[in-house]
Amino acid sequence: MNDNMLTMRNLKVVFPSNAGMIRAVEGIDLDIRKGECVAVVGESGCGKSVTSLAVMKLLNSPPALMRVDELRLDDEELKDYSETKMQSIRGQHISIIFQDAMTALNPVMTVGRQVDEMFLRHNDISKKEARKRTLEALELVGVPEAKSRANNFPHQLSGGMRQRVLIAMAFACMPKLIIADEPTTALDVTIQAQVLEVLRGMQQKHDVSLMLITHDLSVVSNVADTVYVMYSGKIVEKASVRDLFKTPHHPYSYGLLASVPKLSDTKHQFVQIPDSVPHPLRKPSGCYFHPRCRYATEQCKKEMPPLERFDNGREVRCYHPLNVTDTELQS
Amino acid sequence: MKKSFVIKRILYAVFIFFVVLTLNFFIPRIGIDDPAERYYPPQGGMSDIEYEIIKQITREQYGFHVSTWQQYLNYLEDLSQFNLGVSLRSGSPRVSALIGERLPWTLVLSVTTLIISLFIGVLIGTVAAWKRGRWQDTLLLNASTISVALPAFFIALMLSFYLGFELELFPAYTNPNMVAQFDWSWEAIRVVANNAALPVISMAIGGIVGYGQNTRNSVIAVTNEDFILTARAKGLKQNTILYKHTLRNAMLPIVTSLGMSISGLIGGAIIIEQIFNWSGMGTLFLEANSTGDYPLMMGIMLFLSTFAIIANLVTELFYVVLDPRVTVGEKR
Repeated sequence: MNDNMLTMRNLKVVFPSNAGMIRAVEGIDLDIRKGECVAVVGESGCGKSVTSLAVMKLLNSPPALMRVDELRLDDEELKDYSETKMQSIRGQHISIIFQDAMTALNPVMTVGRQVDEMFLRHNDISKKEARKRTLEALELVGVPEAKSRANNFPHQLSGGMRQRVLIAMAFACMPKLIIADEPTTALDVTIQAQVLEVLRGMQQKHDVSLMLITHDLSVVSNVADTVYVMYSGKIVEKASVRDLFKTPHHPYSYGLLASVPKLSDTKHQFVQIPDSVPHPLRKPSGCYFHPRCRYATEQCKKEMPPLERFDNGREVRCYHPLNVTDTELQS
Repeated sequence: MKKSFVIKRILYAVFIFFVVLTLNFFIPRIGIDDPAERYYPPQGGMSDIEYEIIKQITREQYGFHVSTWQQYLNYLEDLSQFNLGVSLRSGSPRVSALIGERLPWTLVLSVTTLIISLFIGVLIGTVAAWKRGRWQDTLLLNASTISVALPAFFIALMLSFYLGFELELFPAYTNPNMVAQFDWSWEAIRVVANNAALPVISMAIGGIVGYGQNTRNSVIAVTNEDFILTARAKGLKQNTILYKHTLRNAMLPIVTSLGMSISGLIGGAIIIEQIFNWSGMGTLFLEANSTGDYPLMMGIMLFLSTFAIIANLVTELFYVVLDPRVTVGEKR
């Protein structure tokens, strides 16, 4: 088991509100092996970002209430760590790349100093040494003229450059795990590709585990090894990238894949999943996906299907999985 | 890039100064048809011819015998030599001398008030934001509701009555000899501090609560920003986040309101000065107003507005230092 970088068991996050408990995450297990890139996909509002913040124990409490049975990073059990202890873990062993680099960087501090801070916090080095490492880090992620760029303020950089700064910051202390929360969503397509390239390059070069939060399946197919599909706070399918794209088992995964338009495909109609993710206060009975699922039966309306595990490591939460091969059924 | 911004702002301030100066010249002239009559009302036992002569002399004495346009040019010429003219008081003291005499006394009150309000207010506001929703926060909220309902002059009257007359902790009104007897000795400074206590407290209460509420809201707004989450994700300690990231950004709106209150430093205390009989600019202005001493009024107005323009200019320039984004429009 110890080639796992992150082991998370039964994560639950709720936000108490006047209208009732908002159950954002309902018992998620997550395993990320060393050097592996795991993608967590799902529509907006299904609990992806909350999960990523929960891994770093960064959720504001109050209002959020978080419970987890096991939260192990490498050999360290973070579950009962105090805030002070978590502060030395954050940045050093786990770091995060946020979605919108414009708002994720402090507007009144030069980007160089913001990266410096990372080195100064977790290493016992001089400011000069920190700046030297900052410049190296910026060059590694492909920021040209790092020396003068470091003295720029965030608003003086382009979106792609800002995202690179965030990536440089995340990799600064060579953490064990990096969480990338929709790192390319705020960028335009050409820059997206470049930033992904940098991210994947850095991850493979330094053999860091990566948890990629996204709703963009093309990003997933490019970067990830394993995919978790989340729906309304629960994992509905776990599979390797190739398996998922070839034979999605859960109707939701199938719907997600089918709704990606393909230029070469002129025969099939562009498919949409009807409706949207249920409001967290009004989750349906039974399988949360059943109102949108065309394979739904009476059983789906009454009972939440268990997360079933196949021999080849795939997991699916569905009574009527699609595309299941005979070998899988035997198990 | 930065230089052009500074030059632009300075030119703008100079422009505003000329607008103010011109308005300051023309507005009083709208209300007064013949200043000589105002300065020298007709007295009994004086023939019309005599009175006409006296009026003519008065006009010449105060420069009203030439056309308005010529008067404006003369006014500008006087100003260029920092000459604000002569008051109509007996002895014809120079306006600038009168202002110079009263200004330090007003500054004693207003600067002390500002410093106290700013420091205590920012401190309280930060604590309230940090302890959001707990008793410290609720206390500030209630205090600000009450202080909005209680104007400074009411607080001043209450303090003067209870702390001054009843308890005799501080002088209920200013010792009339304070100004004349001031000689920079410790004793004299102590007397001033003692006399200034009540006016300063009555003005500072509103200031503290105002800055407190302002700081609290600003700090809370910044705390919800993404970059604070980034700072936490970097593993920075809470104090580092508070000082380097939160407060630095939260200070921006505070600097704006500070700039505005700096321009009110000189003229803002008229009523309070009156209540405590403090011989500052506010009292001087009221005296000028009630005696129709309008060279003095014009002088005070011009001085106040010039001070406000300079204060705003300094605030704007200081803002550039604090917030690098301000120059973004100039760069591209």
